[in-house]
Amino acid sequence: MNKVLTKTKGFFTGIPGKIKNFFTGLPAKFKKKFAYAKEIITQANGKTCASMLIMGLGQLLYKRWMRGIMFLFLQAAFIAYFVLRGASDLFGFFTLGQVEGNAWYGIEGDNSVIMLLMGILSIFALIFYIAIYIVNVKDAYYLQCLDDTRKELPTAKDDAAKLLDKDFYKTALTLPVIGVCIFSILPIVFMILIAFTDYGGDTVPPALVSWVGLENFQKILTLSQFAPTFGKIFVWNMVWAILSTAINYFAGLGLAILLNKKCVKGKAFWRAFPVLAYAIPGFITLLGFKTMFSNGGPINYYIQQAGGSAVEFLGLNSTWSARIIGLCVNAWISVPSIMLLATGILSNINQDLYEAARVDGASAWKQFIKITLPYVLFATTPVLLSQFIGNFNNFGIFYFLRDGYISEGYFLASDTDLLINWLYTMSIDNNYYSIGAAISLIIFIITSVISLAVYVLSPSYKQEETFR
Amino acid sequence: MADLSLKHIYKVYPNGTKAVNDFNMQINDKEFIVFVGPSGCGKSTTLRMIAGLEDITAGELKIGGEVVNGLEPKDRDIAMVFQNYALYPHMTIYENIAFGLRMRKMPKDEIDKKVKEAAEILGITDYLKRKPKEMSGGQRQRVALGRAIVRDPKVMLLDEPLSNLDAKLRTQMRSEIVKLHRKLQTTFIYVTHDQTEAMTMGTRIVVMKDGFIKQVDTPKNLYKYPANKFVAGFIGTPQMNFFEGTLKKDGDVVHIEFKNSDAKITVPYSMLMKTTPAYLDGTKPVCIGFRPEDISLDPEKIEKAHATIKVKVSHTEELGTETLVYGDINMQGNGFDDTGTRIIIKSEGFDEYAADQICDAALNIADIHLFDAETEESILPRIPEFNYIDCSVKGRAISALDVDIALPPAIVCAEGSGELLIPPVAVTFDGDIPATVVEQEDINGQNLVTLDVNGKRLYALSDGVLAEKEQKIALDFKRLTIKTGGKEVAPMPEINGLDGTFAMERVSEPVTKDGKTKNKKVAKYYILMDGVKFPAPDDIANKMFAALSGRKVFNTQFRYELPPDGLAIADEGISAEVKAYLDYGRDKYIQCAVGEENIYVRCDKEYSGTVKLYPDLEKVSVIEKDRGIRILKFIYFSL
Amino acid sequence: MKTVNKKLYKAKSKKVLNVVITYCVLLIVCFIFFFPCLWLILASFSKSGSIYSFDGFFPSEYGLDAFKTLFTDTTMYNYPKWFLNTLFIAAMSCIIGTILTILTAYVMSRFRFKSRKAMMKGTLVLGMFPSFMGTIAVYLLMTQFGLINQRWGLILIYSAQAPMGYMVQKGFFDTIPYSIDEAARIDGASNFQVFMKFTLPMSKPMLVYTALTSFTWPWSDYILPKMLLQDKDLYTVAVGLMSVADDATQFARFAAGSIIIAIPIIILYFCLVKYMINGMSAGAVKQ
Repeated sequence: MNKVLTKTKGFFTGIPGKIKNFFTGLPAKFKKKFAYAKEIITQANGKTCASMLIMGLGQLLYKRWMRGIMFLFLQAAFIAYFVLRGASDLFGFFTLGQVEGNAWYGIEGDNSVIMLLMGILSIFALIFYIAIYIVNVKDAYYLQCLDDTRKELPTAKDDAAKLLDKDFYKTALTLPVIGVCIFSILPIVFMILIAFTDYGGDTVPPALVSWVGLENFQKILTLSQFAPTFGKIFVWNMVWAILSTAINYFAGLGLAILLNKKCVKGKAFWRAFPVLAYAIPGFITLLGFKTMFSNGGPINYYIQQAGGSAVEFLGLNSTWSARIIGLCVNAWISVPSIMLLATGILSNINQDLYEAARVDGASAWKQFIKITLPYVLFATTPVLLSQFIGNFNNFGIFYFLRDGYISEGYFLASDTDLLINWLYTMSIDNNYYSIGAAISLIIFIITSVISLAVYVLSPSYKQEETFR
Repeated sequence: MADLSLKHIYKVYPNGTKAVNDFNMQINDKEFIVFVGPSGCGKSTTLRMIAGLEDITAGELKIGGEVVNGLEPKDRDIAMVFQNYALYPHMTIYENIAFGLRMRKMPKDEIDKKVKEAAEILGITDYLKRKPKEMSGGQRQRVALGRAIVRDPKVMLLDEPLSNLDAKLRTQMRSEIVKLHRKLQTTFIYVTHDQTEAMTMGTRIVVMKDGFIKQVDTPKNLYKYPANKFVAGFIGTPQMNFFEGTLKKDGDVVHIEFKNSDAKITVPYSMLMKTTPAYLDGTKPVCIGFRPEDISLDPEKIEKAHATIKVKVSHTEELGTETLVYGDINMQGNGFDDTGTRIIIKSEGFDEYAADQICDAALNIADIHLFDAETEESILPRIPEFNYIDCSVKGRAISALDVDIALPPAIVCAEGSGELLIPPVAVTFDGDIPATVVEQEDINGQNLVTLDVNGKRLYALSDGVLAEKEQKIALDFKRLTIKTGGKEVAPMPEINGLDGTFAMERVSEPVTKDGKTKNKKVAKYYILMDGVKFPAPDDIANKMFAALSGRKVFNTQFRYELPPDGLAIADEGISAEVKAYLDYGRDKYIQCAVGEENIYVRCDKEYSGTVKLYPDLEKVSVIEKDRGIRILKFIYFSL
Repeated sequence: MKTVNKKLYKAKSKKVLNVVITYCVLLIVCFIFFFPCLWLILASFSKSGSIYSFDGFFPSEYGLDAFKTLFTDTTMYNYPKWFLNTLFIAAMSCIIGTILTILTAYVMSRFRFKSRKAMMKGTLVLGMFPSFMGTIAVYLLMTQFGLINQRWGLILIYSAQAPMGYMVQKGFFDTIPYSIDEAARIDGASNFQVFMKFTLPMSKPMLVYTALTSFTWPWSDYILPKMLLQDKDLYTVAVGLMSVADDATQFARFAAGSIIIAIPIIILYFCLVKYMINGMSAGAVKQ
């Protein structure tokens, strides 16, 4: 216990130091970048300056046709985009529409939400353009450096070969990066920004949406509508995440150790059953369990047969039985994957350690605590973390088991709902988009702080280069 | 089949650590070079820079006369054998060996022929269809060798190839690699941390530590003439014995006293003549080294020996062919721990020695090694730094070696008696002092001549072997140090240093192309010294471009170094104020001041006031001031 | 002598007890995991289809009706079409997604470029956002691109988001010794050739793992298809079965539909359990 305390104390007292290090490192880095920029600006010759004005012009003057044409084309594309759409999209981002649509009068009006989205896209495009512009200037200066020092300028063939060799990472990462930007980053930025508007409820297109700053967050934390619900759900969410992760992890580990025992014959056979449970898609099993515990379902059937009355396992008022059933079902679904993972890791432990411990007289329990557990914990810290986050945001479990209930004292949520379920109900079913987005943001802040802390402290992060 | 030249190779990481420092070496064709040293000394890094797997931060690498700094590994015509074999696990042995040739688009039947040849040489023809995981360690290493030799590379690079093999296999593969080298007649560069491997395989060995070269020499010379304590202790098993002590010259003999021990020996000075005299005053701590095989417990040798000491035996290790006797020269010590007085002696045969027995040991003074206790450099160099000659000055003549020599006008020294320090290079063979050649020795390309002048010994360096036994010598006074009457006259500095930069200008010039003459802007490059522009010669400019990336070459401060005959007095150039005129007889110089620097320029007559100096840029050395990296070096004295 | 015998006996009986308890626990555990599956299988063979007609866990009558109606009665629940839809989407996103993920993981493992650490931290942070936070935005984006109600919309999203999960593959690539790359480069291969001729052939387990996980994901994902596919005929199996499960009288059909898609996935998983263990521990273990 003492060790845990000292470690946590150490962690917290170490934070100021780490923050200070981060910031003291920054000025030096910026200085270097700034110094290089200064060098370019002060020492650029005519051709490099040409590239500063029109992208690609300098490259063309150096007779690097491919590079020049490519940058010129990008410049033209950007100008075309901005003239046709970008400028108005950008403007629309800040105003979020000025003309309200009215179906009666046939006025089309501005769709605020679309404007927000396309506005973000145009900001991305702008950032991208600035980045390409900087690359263009650096490239022109690079050509100048080569020319001034009597070195040969690279030909188009050289460039193409380089793209498959030294610069292969550029070729390979282009598509994934674009894809991730548009389909992962863009949506998240959009949702973050929605949290600062009043989109939702009645304020949906064709009505105009506007910026409201931190109002939504205030509402969640203070308004009697939201605040108590938020508090209660948050507490339950944390409890759920910790309990379910712990149960799944140790059950999975225990199962793996059990199966790993020397006296167990036909390991593949025994392993098949958990794998079966793992292989069946999650929603099927969840729906199955829902039916199993329903009022007309098999379990109640047997209870009624035995003379009792139907028990409401997952009904409106069965808070605790629903929660416990949730934990058990989640274990049923998740334990097999942990078991597989642990099996793989256990096979990597050096058996000599166990033999030495046996010679020293350690009992099986002691061996587990002192040898197995530390090793497995170390090896699976990232997985443990992602399991915790996954359980924290486990949408499916209570969505399928207890859909649609609204408990007393809760606003649009049931007593087993997690934050993410509440989020869904609010946004999709009831159009409280902005509040929902604000809750998402809060979830994110909580989970990211925990994750980053654990991840950065874990040995796995620091030992990347060992295999190179 | 090519030679390599490494000039001022540096490897500096972005965080500032210098993994390799000023690596200079000329490797000749067909040599077997071994880089050896402890972990982290930079040997693998240097090998990888030669291969092209690491970027060279600064310096010039030439393979076969061609500069290869920026070339990809595949274009350098080298082959490499890795420590962990690095065989392609999903390909058969045949395909492993053939891969490189296939990449070079060789016709199929030629590939087949070459692969079978290489397999034949290495004895792996039977395994061509197998996969690497079916082979043992030794076989895998052979395949790795096969993959390397099949491409007929200019240079073969081997990175600790035997470290993963067991001891017996290692010795076997060692001789195989040597055999391979003899058969292929290609340059081999081999990296290892095992000094036995280095000594048995290499034609020349490079001993490295902490990124610096400690010594480059043949195995025999490394063993006999280690240049510093590190090399002395690294080469040879068991390790050399090191004792701390002092040397005191007493007339014709030198007393050697050992610290922490009563041991004292007295040796004739003639055996220690090349020792730097500063260490012979009895106060400077000196590290005395004796190899275990140069100490004898044989009673016969002890009788005839110059020097014997008492040793208290602690224990012995019997190896069959010889016995290692551990002891201590301090009678209170024990021979187990490596204290400053522990001694290990190699004794032949099976003589019995009891613990705590005290015996006599003879020290072979001919093979003594002396190092400065602090700097660890050898103070008994093969080419002595100076000849220390007693002298006396009277009027305008100096009397040394029983000869009176007239002092040139530039030398002004106090009257009286004192010491004359003559570096061997300052003895020239075009004078009128008679001398007899006693011995000539070729040391790393330089010819050390031992002369007898009126019964006194004098060391000199000559250009090639001297045919005549009787020579007439003279002294080059600008290189001498004269200490008389409490005052010291220093030699003239050989290096002039000036700060400056490098610049480029675009000048409009008529350029003829395809018969048409047009005015085009042409780039001209200048070296600026003290603000004055001088056109830079092409190869020097190219070297500077190669050493620095981007346009840094125009934005850095450099230090330019020139020898005294690298500057001439002309009508234009750097302004200098004449401070003195130095007439050394055979040549004349003027000392002038450029800013705060003292510049020495060779001239033919006296000048005064302000003069203009014009540099001969073919003789310039360039140092980048920021990182302290030497870009060019010009060798001053031609020998 | 007697005490020694007694000790031996005690030790032996301890061992036997140990074995007995182990097997008992194993049996219980396996029963717990197997029973719900068994129930579903039996339910799919129920004649009536409604759960109320069940004898507790067991159908009152057995028959293949549920399977028949699954494929024939396509008015409300067009199962065959859903199956084909999901197959198409899964196959395409498997191919595209695997290529993108493997390329990303390879580059992050082998190259050291300036924005690398930033990208790694960025992907980590992005992954911490609640999974379905961006779905509304994706929906709006898709309306702008005109990809609502289109299978290619789903394929696009699955493929684009796949590279975010490159960590496991990267961990695997990290364990391939870098000296093989260097030897190949000295032999004359460019980085692209090293990737195609060496890294890929040596990474078969990881390729299988990646393809498997990206193939099975569309079969069980319900949020995204529910949002993007409005036509009943374009549903994926996941969304379709959800609509079936709402109707308690169609429980047998639901079970039958589930069994049909579960079986190929189960078979695949069993064949590749070995690869799965390699795959998961490769990402987790960094020693």
